[in-house]
Amino acid sequence: MFVLALRSIRQRPGRFLATLLSAFLGTAIIMTFNSMHDTAGQPGVDAVSSDTLATSAGVVGGYGTLLVFFAVASTLTVNVRQRAAELELLRCSGATPAQIKRMVVGEAVAVALVGAALAIGPAMLGGRVLLEMFQDGGQVARSVEYSFGPIALASGVSITLLAAAGAAFLAVRRVTRRRRERAGARRFLAYGALAAGAAGVCSTFLFSATDEMLMAPAAQGTIMLSVGFALLSPRLLKGLLDRLALSGASGWLAVRNLRQRAAELAGILVSLIMFTAVSTATITMQAVESDAVAASGLVKSVDAKNLETLNLTVVGIVTVFVCVMLVNSLYAATTYRSREFGQQRLAGATPGQVLGVVGAEGAILTVAGVFFGTLAGLAGVVPFTVVRTDGVIPDQFLGTWLAMAAVAAAVTLGTSLFTARRVLRTPAVLAVVQVA
Amino acid sequence: MFRSGARRDHDSGPAPEALRLVKVTKSYGTADSAVTALDGVTLGLARGTFTAVMGPSGSGKSTLLQCAAGLDRPDSGIVRVDGKELTGGGEAELTKFRRGRIGFVFQQYNLLETLTVAQNTVLPLKLAGRRVDRRRAREVLTAVGLGDRLRHRPGQLSGGQRQRVAIARALVTEPRVIFADEPTGALDTRSAREVLTLLQQTVRVHGRTVVMVTHDPVAASYADSVLFLADGRLAGRMDAPTADAVAERLAHLGDDMTAGV
Repeated sequence: MFVLALRSIRQRPGRFLATLLSAFLGTAIIMTFNSMHDTAGQPGVDAVSSDTLATSAGVVGGYGTLLVFFAVASTLTVNVRQRAAELELLRCSGATPAQIKRMVVGEAVAVALVGAALAIGPAMLGGRVLLEMFQDGGQVARSVEYSFGPIALASGVSITLLAAAGAAFLAVRRVTRRRRERAGARRFLAYGALAAGAAGVCSTFLFSATDEMLMAPAAQGTIMLSVGFALLSPRLLKGLLDRLALSGASGWLAVRNLRQRAAELAGILVSLIMFTAVSTATITMQAVESDAVAASGLVKSVDAKNLETLNLTVVGIVTVFVCVMLVNSLYAATTYRSREFGQQRLAGATPGQVLGVVGAEGAILTVAGVFFGTLAGLAGVVPFTVVRTDGVIPDQFLGTWLAMAAVAAAVTLGTSLFTARRVLRTPAVLAVVQVA
Repeated sequence: MFRSGARRDHDSGPAPEALRLVKVTKSYGTADSAVTALDGVTLGLARGTFTAVMGPSGSGKSTLLQCAAGLDRPDSGIVRVDGKELTGGGEAELTKFRRGRIGFVFQQYNLLETLTVAQNTVLPLKLAGRRVDRRRAREVLTAVGLGDRLRHRPGQLSGGQRQRVAIARALVTEPRVIFADEPTGALDTRSAREVLTLLQQTVRVHGRTVVMVTHDPVAASYADSVLFLADGRLAGRMDAPTADAVAERLAHLGDDMTAGV
């Protein structure tokens, strides 16, 4: 089966591009930050430098792992879903579920391995730049030499491979088992995440205004809340759609399409909610913190500086990953609808009306995702601001929120409309007979 | 479906000739590797007729249907539907031309999976921005025998039922011509018979015009007349066809070629 896996990759390298890209980016980030462990572990590094390096490696490395798993899982799920027909064919030709599983997992591991190998070079460069950043900021002594060692290499490769294998396993199991959604477990997880998020956000009030850790519970709470909302998103979306009446044929179709496809769109909503929540909350809180420090006339400590660097890095990573995930899943989902678009056109829809449907769907998704993301983000920002300053909603919030919502809308609408336009180039009569 | 008189008065009135093709030519591919799918086809179909178009694979049946139905544009020649000439323009203009003039029934049904039976039926009206008369949609669906399936989705229906939804969808806009592309190609014999009888009724009882592309002599025998197509040209015509006669003629289509139409 592994030979078949390799062959199937060679025939269609394009389909694995998204998985390769997320494996590559993920490994690069994990290796970059984990090489700080290697650097800190060298003999003769002083305690402060070593501390800075280890913290940054720990925090961002942890984030990175989570994100690699999410991103690879999302791209692989899309990939496996698109190939449902091919997998069905294999099953009909006598492949056992275990064989199909081995093939898909084998493909994923092979692609992840290539991604990880490609990431080594950029990660070494990135690590060097990161170390210089720390040194320029005075957080790490000038004498510390960069080192890219076993920790970076082993963690990067193993985490990516594990994530790929695990994600592929889960994705193919969902397909071969023929959709038996365990709604109960999902809801339990969702409420668990929401409860944990609420607890984290509320625990902000237990800290004092000048605690260095003040931002942590709020940020973690925001993340947990957005995970909870994301898990509940299919139901939330359905609730929203039942109350939504759009005028015009395009809007009418869009609402009905989304109602039926709510479960499939969960992946896109996850990305949108996480992106809005994490980026808005982190950037706003960091701005509040910096202003508060400036107002008090104090000079930032090394730890505070570390935290700022980390925060901005985390936001950067989240943004890049979520964009990759969003673009990939929207591109795949829209390409996959070629036949459906053809059917709409044969039923009398002009290309403009089809684009109208896609646009309306994208707009509804963006609004829903940004709305719940904002909720989760505000849940973190407000307690932090109340404790840190006298206000409730900081001045910086609106600007940040607007910028992030604009990015979310641009990526969502841009990808779906651009892809739909390309898909519409196929004549309708051909589109309905082609197997996507 | 099946109201004809009263509504007729509102529109300009149908032309006596539902479909006319004059020297329609269409080829695919570029210069040296070009394949001529239609080679100067000229034909006219009167209103209220049921015509089957037959021919072997590659004879140009599908191309003929696509050109006549405004799904594709011929390289040269004239296509007139209900007296109105199909002129140049983009896909949007072709779509607007088809609305209200042309209805489709495809082999693969082409119903939207996300919509219910009732929603699928009224979709062409919605898209054309016309008033949606739900009572009438229900009437049409009842007439095709699906009055109790309005809230089902295509996935919950059998092939024959889906094709009947497609016919209801084609009828609800009251088109001048209904084009059916292998409508029974994916159906068992019993469902096929039901679908063909339904198409026949729309013509005989309600005066619509139906053009059906098929390779099945039994399906063709439901039509009033059969046009034979070979190598992109008309190769004969048979009125009041029987399945056996059609099969016989089809088997010797190559021989007819020299004799001409």
